[in-house]
Amino acid sequence: MQVQVTINGKPHTLPLNGHETLLEVLRDTLSMTGTKTACQESECGTCTVIINGKAVLSCITLAANLDGVQIRTIEGLADGDVLHPVQKAFVEQGSVQCGFCIPGMIMASTALLEKNPHPTQKEIEYALDGNICRCGGYPKIFEAIRCAAKEMAQGKKF
Amino acid sequence: MKTQVLKEYVDPVGKSVPRIDGRGIVTGQTKYAFDVSFPNMLVGKMLRSPHAHAKILSIDTSKAQSLPGVKAIITARDTHLIKFGSNEYFFPHTVDQMALEADKARYIGDEIAAVAAVDEETAYEALKLIDVKYEVLPAVFDIEEAIKPGAPMIHDSLNNMAVILPVNFGNPERVMKEADYVREDKFWCPVAHPAPLEPHVCVGQWETFADKITLWSSSQAPFKCREALAKTLKMDLNNVRVIKMAVGGGFGGKLEMLPMDFAACLLSKKAGSLPVKICCTREEEFISTRRKHGMIYKVKTGVKKDGTILAMTGEVLADGGAYCSYGPTVLAAAMMRIFMVYKIQHFRMTGYRVYTNNPISGAMRGFGGVQSGFAIESHMDMIANHLGMDPVEFRLKNITTPNMVTINKMVLTTNGLRECIEKACSAAGWKEKHGKQKNVCRGIGIGIAADVMGSKMYKSHESAGAIVKVEEDGSVYLFTGAADTGQGSNTALSQITAHELGVSYSRIKCKAGDTEITPFDTGSFASRVTFISGNAAMLGARDAKGQILEIVAKEHHLNVDDLDVKAEQVIFKKDGKVLMSFDKALELCYSFNYGKQIIGRGSYNPKTTPIDFRTGEGNVSGSYGFEAQIAEVEVDKETGQVKVLELWDAHDIGKAINPQSVEAQIEGSLAMGLGYTFYEDLKFKNGLVLNANFAGYRVPRSIGMPRMNTILVETNDPEGPFGAKGMGEASLLPTSAAIANALEDAIGVRIKELPLTADKIIKALKEKEAHL
Repeated sequence: MQVQVTINGKPHTLPLNGHETLLEVLRDTLSMTGTKTACQESECGTCTVIINGKAVLSCITLAANLDGVQIRTIEGLADGDVLHPVQKAFVEQGSVQCGFCIPGMIMASTALLEKNPHPTQKEIEYALDGNICRCGGYPKIFEAIRCAAKEMAQGKKF
Repeated sequence: MKTQVLKEYVDPVGKSVPRIDGRGIVTGQTKYAFDVSFPNMLVGKMLRSPHAHAKILSIDTSKAQSLPGVKAIITARDTHLIKFGSNEYFFPHTVDQMALEADKARYIGDEIAAVAAVDEETAYEALKLIDVKYEVLPAVFDIEEAIKPGAPMIHDSLNNMAVILPVNFGNPERVMKEADYVREDKFWCPVAHPAPLEPHVCVGQWETFADKITLWSSSQAPFKCREALAKTLKMDLNNVRVIKMAVGGGFGGKLEMLPMDFAACLLSKKAGSLPVKICCTREEEFISTRRKHGMIYKVKTGVKKDGTILAMTGEVLADGGAYCSYGPTVLAAAMMRIFMVYKIQHFRMTGYRVYTNNPISGAMRGFGGVQSGFAIESHMDMIANHLGMDPVEFRLKNITTPNMVTINKMVLTTNGLRECIEKACSAAGWKEKHGKQKNVCRGIGIGIAADVMGSKMYKSHESAGAIVKVEEDGSVYLFTGAADTGQGSNTALSQITAHELGVSYSRIKCKAGDTEITPFDTGSFASRVTFISGNAAMLGARDAKGQILEIVAKEHHLNVDDLDVKAEQVIFKKDGKVLMSFDKALELCYSFNYGKQIIGRGSYNPKTTPIDFRTGEGNVSGSYGFEAQIAEVEVDKETGQVKVLELWDAHDIGKAINPQSVEAQIEGSLAMGLGYTFYEDLKFKNGLVLNANFAGYRVPRSIGMPRMNTILVETNDPEGPFGAKGMGEASLLPTSAAIANALEDAIGVRIKELPLTADKIIKALKEKEAHL
């Protein structure tokens, strides 16, 4: 079987056996290793990508169900050489430690800010509660989201 | 010579420059061992014992061999039966683990065989087809049961006490008699797991005709891994290359070679040199990689009425699990950290590192200090409370001071402990709050700690090396053996290099942790990298700079000692006048006449003395870091729920090379400390891990993070690179006690067993009411 999806703005025809998760398709079939996983059972948030505007866990998303959807991954967030405001804020605010959670964390943060441009602290915490940062870098991650929200509010479109 | 105006230049040391790897990480381009892939790469899987203790009678791999897609299977018969361990230098008898066990399985998860196949499904199928006949043996899981006579013997030894460590100074029994108050407490510190987000993962390739092994690894200590691989695979060191990729967290758990690293290489050899990737599942990560030691910590202290500590005695029982790993030195650290914090003249404590049929305990961030931090700092508060003394005053009376030698010969030079306590108290409003918020079930508590920056527990020296190569175009390459596991050491070491060389941070590229290319380094542990590898980087940059200045001096008939490089300019030291730009100087070095390659070399070995483990004497660290932490909590007496309102952490870090990274390390430590205090508790039943996943083993998440205040105390250590000391672990040590102490301040109950769960708090409240 095969499904037609758009990944980071480009159309893809994915040949599938049927059992593959989106995570497997991204990492193994398409060699897009920016998306990570730490549990493969929906407990850590590391594999978060954006599908049709919503943050989802690619490790428990069956690729066969995705015909016609728009998928965004960490590889597609920057505009050419220019980092997305969320990416930029994560670098500037020192929100990156080991970095393994960061692609998922950035995708979850981006989905939040696109839906809710001015989240409260509580809303940020709830939006990210599915994403583990074992380095415990939460304060600086919160700070990055606040900074990115400001920059995105200034009208920069991505 | 025309004097030029200095260009605008930012000295990177002391600045929160962005992480050198930041842009790669946020775009997903940074490659972890998890991402390493090659054409025709095989998938490897480990066969693990389902029994906690069992004799291996036979292993039949024939059915698995004939499964299509299986490329190699290995058991102990394919190995040299060479044991490995991590404390071989000081405790040779604790080298007790084989990559694939031959005769006996000692815990649920012990590696018995390994398979390489074309894909994961086939590898799992092959594991099922390997027929192992076991004779199940009686097992022991409880520390106190394991040391009783007649307990099942786990190794071929006299008893299950793998290591007995006495630490004896003065005459505590005699002095204890002079005490006005003697208090004895027993604490339980549970088993936690490092649980790095990137699981243990490696790709091994053995090119048999080239006689070369390469391991792409998520190691925290690639040189240590190389040594263990070479030893167990009987290869020369220089035929083994360990390439550390970006590491998705380690926290102590990735310090050692694991059987999977060994297996990936040996499977590759058997599979015609194809690369083999082995990646732990999350369950394997929790079951078979190193965990934090569970400890029973008993301590007894005698004090005078005025709060002066006279003597301390105690006993520590550590659940070691099936093999020794880093256990002996973790145990030593759990006892000897006390000397860095408190002035104690009479001390007797004995540590027992006990074999059980539980998974293997090893290093985890804090290295014994989290357990001792909880026990000692809780105990100190209880003593102060009994004496009616303010816990802060009590501590100030007994803490170590700058420029002193402890009873076990640790040389404390810079020591900002008093300043840390005072600054944390002032920021938290200690005087206004302590003991004054009981009516609203709020309380405030303190914990203090100290930490080393390096420790010779691996071999006789603890050196780090650096090569600083300055290219013709002005780019600077720093080659360091240090292993950045996410703490940002590549950034900090690049900042140090740029500062010493007198050039911009943007010129520096850092290549780290490749045993074939970079100089030797013992690895990322003991909060040592900034201090030890940082000194090496500084010396490497100084050497490179000297080579450049020598040519400038020769060309201009000047004395090289009169010159320096600052802010991208070659200057005269005496008046700061500019002779030429750094780029011009480089042009000269690489000119027709000179053609001189600039390759600086740095090597640093801290001036320390190893511990004599018969007594506990030794100066393990080139300097020491200090720390005070205050927690404010609010308790719901109906539900037993504790809310941490705010944390204050004052840390003597010598000098912050990168304040943002330092803060991040502190905040991360506090988060991990919160986890250990409230919920991180690896649970076992008959040796089986009951919560081997992130649903069952909860780690800190975004909800519930309290406000964290970091206070950096800079004591400018003369031995540290530009005054810097190590940090990264100390802030984790006092968190549990600070919270337990705050809990008592709030509602008057004392919990001596972590984690601080709601049911324990409710139970303690009920018991307290019953006594009223």
